[in-house]
Formats: sequence, structure tokens, C-alpha cells
Amino acid sequence: MAASIIVADRVTKVFEEGRRDQVVALKDLSLEVTEGEFLCLVGGSGCGKTTFLNLVAGFLPPTEGVIYLRGRAIAGIEPRAGMIFQSYALLPWKTVAGNVEFGPKMKRLPRAERRAIAERFIRMVGLTGFEHFYPGQLSGGMQQRVTLARLLAADREVFLMDEPFAALDAMTRQVMQEELIRIHEQSGKTTVFVTHNIDEALILADRIVVMSSRPGRVKASIRNDLPRPRQVDVQLSPRYLELKTQIWGHVEEEVRRQIEATSGSARAQ
Amino acid sequence: MRGRVTPGGFRLGAKSRSFGLGALSVVVLLAAWHLVTAGGYISAIFLPSPQQVVGQARRYLADGSLVWHVLTSGRRVLAGFVLAAAVAVPLGIVLGTSRTAKALFDPILSIIRPLPSLSWIPLTILWFGIDEGQKYAIVFMGTFASALLYVMESTRRVDPLLIKAAQNLGATRLDVLREVILPGSLPGIISGLKVCLALAWTCVLSAEMVAATHGLGALIWFAKDWNNMALVMVGMVSISITVLVIDSAFRVIEDRILPWERHQRRRDT
Repeated sequence: MAASIIVADRVTKVFEEGRRDQVVALKDLSLEVTEGEFLCLVGGSGCGKTTFLNLVAGFLPPTEGVIYLRGRAIAGIEPRAGMIFQSYALLPWKTVAGNVEFGPKMKRLPRAERRAIAERFIRMVGLTGFEHFYPGQLSGGMQQRVTLARLLAADREVFLMDEPFAALDAMTRQVMQEELIRIHEQSGKTTVFVTHNIDEALILADRIVVMSSRPGRVKASIRNDLPRPRQVDVQLSPRYLELKTQIWGHVEEEVRRQIEATSGSARAQ
Repeated sequence: MRGRVTPGGFRLGAKSRSFGLGALSVVVLLAAWHLVTAGGYISAIFLPSPQQVVGQARRYLADGSLVWHVLTSGRRVLAGFVLAAAVAVPLGIVLGTSRTAKALFDPILSIIRPLPSLSWIPLTILWFGIDEGQKYAIVFMGTFASALLYVMESTRRVDPLLIKAAQNLGATRLDVLREVILPGSLPGIISGLKVCLALAWTCVLSAEMVAATHGLGALIWFAKDWNNMALVMVGMVSISITVLVIDSAFRVIEDRILPWERHQRRRDT
């Protein structure tokens, strides 16, 4: 078994909302991600999946507990973890090439080298010919490809993806999933991928972690043993249905609990 | 520059159509003006005829004095405006990004901002006399606070997600300022400065009406004293034309320094 690259040790995150209200987004969450693994975090809204990614990226400090990346605790913006956001977060005033070059530029690499890196990863995501387009001129799917190229060019040890395909239409999403699988196979980078789509998790992940709703904890960790390379027809196999039923069982329980909790608090108000 | 990514010719058609409609409305207005004055529905004392206005314009154009007045006012506007912008843009960016600076300056700003430029006339005359310095000072005082507010607002409106993404890609504080906050606030700053430029014109004209021998404001005021309404209208039309010319010059500059907005603007229109 490969070594753990990310270790979350009893991590708690509390958000103060106003003077009295507190939201416990994560409570004593412990989780290990192994080197090269593709891990999907699944759970209903408000289970703290995104919060967990923000903690790993170092955008937020944990209230309690520590997250280690290769044995070193994360404190402040983490230069070893690269993030992809659901809403792309591309710089609108930079061209595709300019956006992809951004990471290398921040590393103060010489221009020629930056160019070469950008060109390589733009080709990898199939956007050759669009180098001089601005993000606003591209479709959502193409913009998300640019963020993939940008992440690859920044050369991070860990990839964090926060529902990157949620805003895409079903067909584009499927194409993007296949590309992501291909890219993951090529790069072998450890990836933590947040989604609320079980099918997406089953296509992509080596392992699927179901999170409980507020406060977020690990509810179940399921190894996805579907054979690779996976194509869409894997969804027809009995093993796929078995896994999906199993995961859905966990998720459904949490979603029901969440609905009851919110309607309960609504009644209390 | 335009038409590089023009998708199909229909856009051009739509553009010339709206230009035609605009020209039509101007022609209709002129025709109506001609009809009511030529038909004697409105006395020439209250509204001079277009012919009278054109006659006056010819006379003042022939001896070069109209151009001289336009240039005089234009120089005052430009000098005061450039001065105000030169201070407001850097200061506004600092105030927009630093909470301490904002807390320090906010009270002063809220005292200065509501003062109309006219209220500065007595003090500026006392300080600068009635020469050019006073005109520049009026424009400065009349536009500075608004310009500063526009800059601060646009700086603060930069999408925090873009800042997060840049930091994630390794940007330092200075990188964020240069690569994200500056270009991100530029469109807002420019449209704010456009408003301030119009404001600068009203400042100059009112200053010229009170104490000046040259400039469009002075021309209008003298014409009023001579009871020459046609000349008053020549002055008014000159203002409109000058502002129109400056506005389109501004648009060319905008296209140049905001290339990523060009396609968006095109899509919107």
C-alpha cells in the first residue's frame, strides 16, 4: 500500500455567523489520502466537502486539528496544492495562454519556458488554436479545460477539485470526465474531487468517501473496484449498480437527516 | 480592430441600423425646431431659429474665436481632470485594498464629497485669483472626491474568488495587486473617470460663468448679457459636440487597454 500524502487528523471547522450563531461545518474529521489516489468526496449540500478543500488549500485555518501534506502541517495558502473551482475563476483579462502561464509566471520562470509549458498543457486539454482567446469568448466546457491546463502548468503535488463539472451540461460533463481520467492516468497526481453526483464519483474515483451532513464527518469509505479504463458502459455492469446502491444508501440517510434538521429548525423559528 | 471576430454580417447590419435610427431622430428634432421657429409658433426671443444659430456659429468660426473658446475650456477640463485622476487612482487603489487607510480617509472624504464645485469658487478665487490656476482647482475639487470613490469601489469589487485562485497559483500580495486587482478594477475605474470627465465640464463651465473672459462658459454668459440667445445656443451645441468627441476618444482608449472587454461589449450591443 502506498504512503499517505494527505492526513487530516481530527479536524474541526466552526464558522461564526453573527455574534451567537455558529455553524460546525466539520467535526473531528479524520481522513487519509494515499499517493496518486483519485478520491471523491460525496455528500449532500452543507456536509463540509468544500470546507475541507479550502482547508487543504490553506484558504481557511482549521478551528481544531491539523491537516498534514507529506507530513508537514498546512498553515496558510498551500503552495503544494492546486485548486479548480466550480466557477472556473479564470482571469478574464488574460488570454487562454496567459491564464495557463500564470502559475509558471508566479514561479518567475523565464518567458520562453513559460510559453513551452503553456503550449504543452493547452495541447493536452485539446485547446490548441485557442491560445489567444479570452475566457469570455469560450464555452463553459472550454473554460473548465483552461482551468485544468492552468492547474497542470502550475505543477502542484495535489489537485483539489470543487465540483468542477457541476455547471456543465450532461454531455460536456461526460467528455470532461473522460479527459480528467486520461489526465490523471498520465500525471498520476493525487486528486481530491468533490461532487454530489454519485455517477460522477463512480466513473472517476479509486475511492469514494461519503460525508455526513452538518457537522461533516466521514460516514463511509468505499473502494471503487470497477475495472479501468472505465467507459460509460461500465454503468451497465452489476457491480456498478451494487456500488451505487451502497453509496446511495449512505447518502440518502444523510440527506433525509439534513432535511429533517432544517425543517425542524424552521419550525422552531 | 473591429470585425476581427465578427460572427456573420448581421451584426454590422444591426449597427448601421441603430446609427440610421439615431441620425433620423436628430433630423426630426432639427426639422421640428425649424418648423416651430419658421412658422412663428415660438417667438425668436424665446427660441432662436436654426438659421440664426448657424449664422452665429459661422461668424464665430470664421474669426477663430469659437475654436479658441473650445480649446480654452478643453484645456482647463483636461488639466484639472488629469490632476484629479493622477491623485485619485493610486490613492483609491490604496484605500480600496487597505482597511487602515480607508478608516483614516473615509471621514475626510465624506466631508468633501457632498460639496458642489460651485461652493469652492469663493475660496479658490481667494487662493488662486481668477487665472488658470483657479479653474484647474475648481475642476480638481469638483471631481477628485467622486473619482476617488469610483476607484475605491471598483478596487473593492474585484471578485475575491479570482484573488483566491491567483494566490493558489503562487501569487504574492504584490502579484495579486498587479495581476488581479489592477486589471480587475480597470473597467470600473475607466467608466468612473468617464463620469468624472463630464463632471469636470460642468465645473469648468460654472467657473467660467462666474469669473473668466475666455472659454465656453464665459461665451455663454456674455451672450446672455448681450441678449444673444443664438450665440448662447452656439455655446451649448459646442459643449455637446466637444464632449461627444472626447467621449469617442475615450472609447478608443478603452478598447485599447481593455481588450478582453471588447467582445463582451460587442455582445451586449
